[in-house]
Amino acid sequence: MAINRSSDHESDENTRLYHPYQNYQVPIKSQYLYKLPTSPEFLFTEESLKQRRSWGENLTFYTGTGYLAGSVAGASAGIFSGIKSFENGDTTKLKINRILNSSGQAGRTWGNRVGIVGLIYAGIESGVVAVTDKDDVWTSVVAGLGTGAVFRAARGVRSAAVAGAFGGIAAGAVVAGKQVFKRYAHI
Amino acid sequence: MGTPETSREPCPDRILDDIGGAFGMGAVGGSAFHFIKGTYNSPKGSRFVGGTQSVSMNAPRTGGSFAVWGGLFSTFDCTMVYLRQKEDPWNSIIAGAATGGFLSMRQGAGAASRSAIFGGVLLALIEGAGIMLNKVLAQPQNMMMEDPGMQGMPGMQGMQGMPGMPGMQGMPGMQGMQMGQMQSQAQIRSESQNQNTASSSSSSSWFGGLFDKKKEEVQPGSESKTEVLESFDAPPVPSFEFK
Repeated sequence: MAINRSSDHESDENTRLYHPYQNYQVPIKSQYLYKLPTSPEFLFTEESLKQRRSWGENLTFYTGTGYLAGSVAGASAGIFSGIKSFENGDTTKLKINRILNSSGQAGRTWGNRVGIVGLIYAGIESGVVAVTDKDDVWTSVVAGLGTGAVFRAARGVRSAAVAGAFGGIAAGAVVAGKQVFKRYAHI
Repeated sequence: MGTPETSREPCPDRILDDIGGAFGMGAVGGSAFHFIKGTYNSPKGSRFVGGTQSVSMNAPRTGGSFAVWGGLFSTFDCTMVYLRQKEDPWNSIIAGAATGGFLSMRQGAGAASRSAIFGGVLLALIEGAGIMLNKVLAQPQNMMMEDPGMQGMPGMQGMQGMPGMPGMQGMPGMQGMQMGQMQSQAQIRSESQNQNTASSSSSSSWFGGLFDKKKEEVQPGSESKTEVLESFDAPPVPSFEFK
């Protein structure tokens, strides 16, 4: 159709394309009608300004990421421990069994630890955001501080205080590092 | 009806959410259950100490088991979705059988076969109950946030020999609601799929190498939105194919 139309235009110079809105001064150009937006359309503009996961998605994302990262790291370290603990005269079955036992044990231990930290952090962060209705560096610092304190609460007040301070500093460093990364490394 | 937020995310982001949901449910639910059990079994005068000791001893095992089962189940489910290019109850049944068999492989071929059969039958019962409940409930209600992680709960009981959980009673209802939501909101799912893929690009790059084909399918859809039509023809009709 396009090729045929262009050939007609070239051959017949006395004709022109018909434009139905030529004599009308309509403000809407016909081309605008077919430019569809690429971003999701929100009913209220406030929804587009707030870009964060809901509390449920936050909980499952942090917990799942933490558990998976902890399990993989622990299992990797456990593999090396298993290889190191080989003895003379071990058969292949015994070697495989040592590796599986060691990696499974370390993977479960570290997966549980990091998963619990992610669970507590997500809960406290969602709570702080709900109470203060803003999300910035200090929100993460408070969430990290609360996470550390809760994680070590059973070991005494002094241990909880030290863990809380460490958690707050770590969370602040992570958020600041992320902001610097976003500013200088355009990905 | 449920909003797009309550529908399950597309693969491979679903794996992370299922691990998180299963671990959260196992850890929190297991803590509550074992605290009550420890309090009940402790002598008078030291019930609180007994409850806390029981939680410390048993909750990590419960949470870890739930997370492993949920993560493996979701991984196999995504693998079946990728291989078969469709979503239906058979994916869950095969994923349940594969999860049960995989977790019992170290105990020998016989035990692995029995666990696989048990896992498949269990998921078949869950899917069957969900389908029947979907027929009963014409208008399913809104669903909870942690619903995807609940699929691993009954298998956990059968596989690990743990005592029953109080939250299991709501499993068929949740499954039925989810099935109804999946069938009646294919369009919303496709929309949420685009949103979730765009909004969580950082986490999808983790597993991106495993699902290259799915990424290629999403890009033409996004390209058609930005295409400038120079002629006066109508815009292309969007495809509502549900994969």
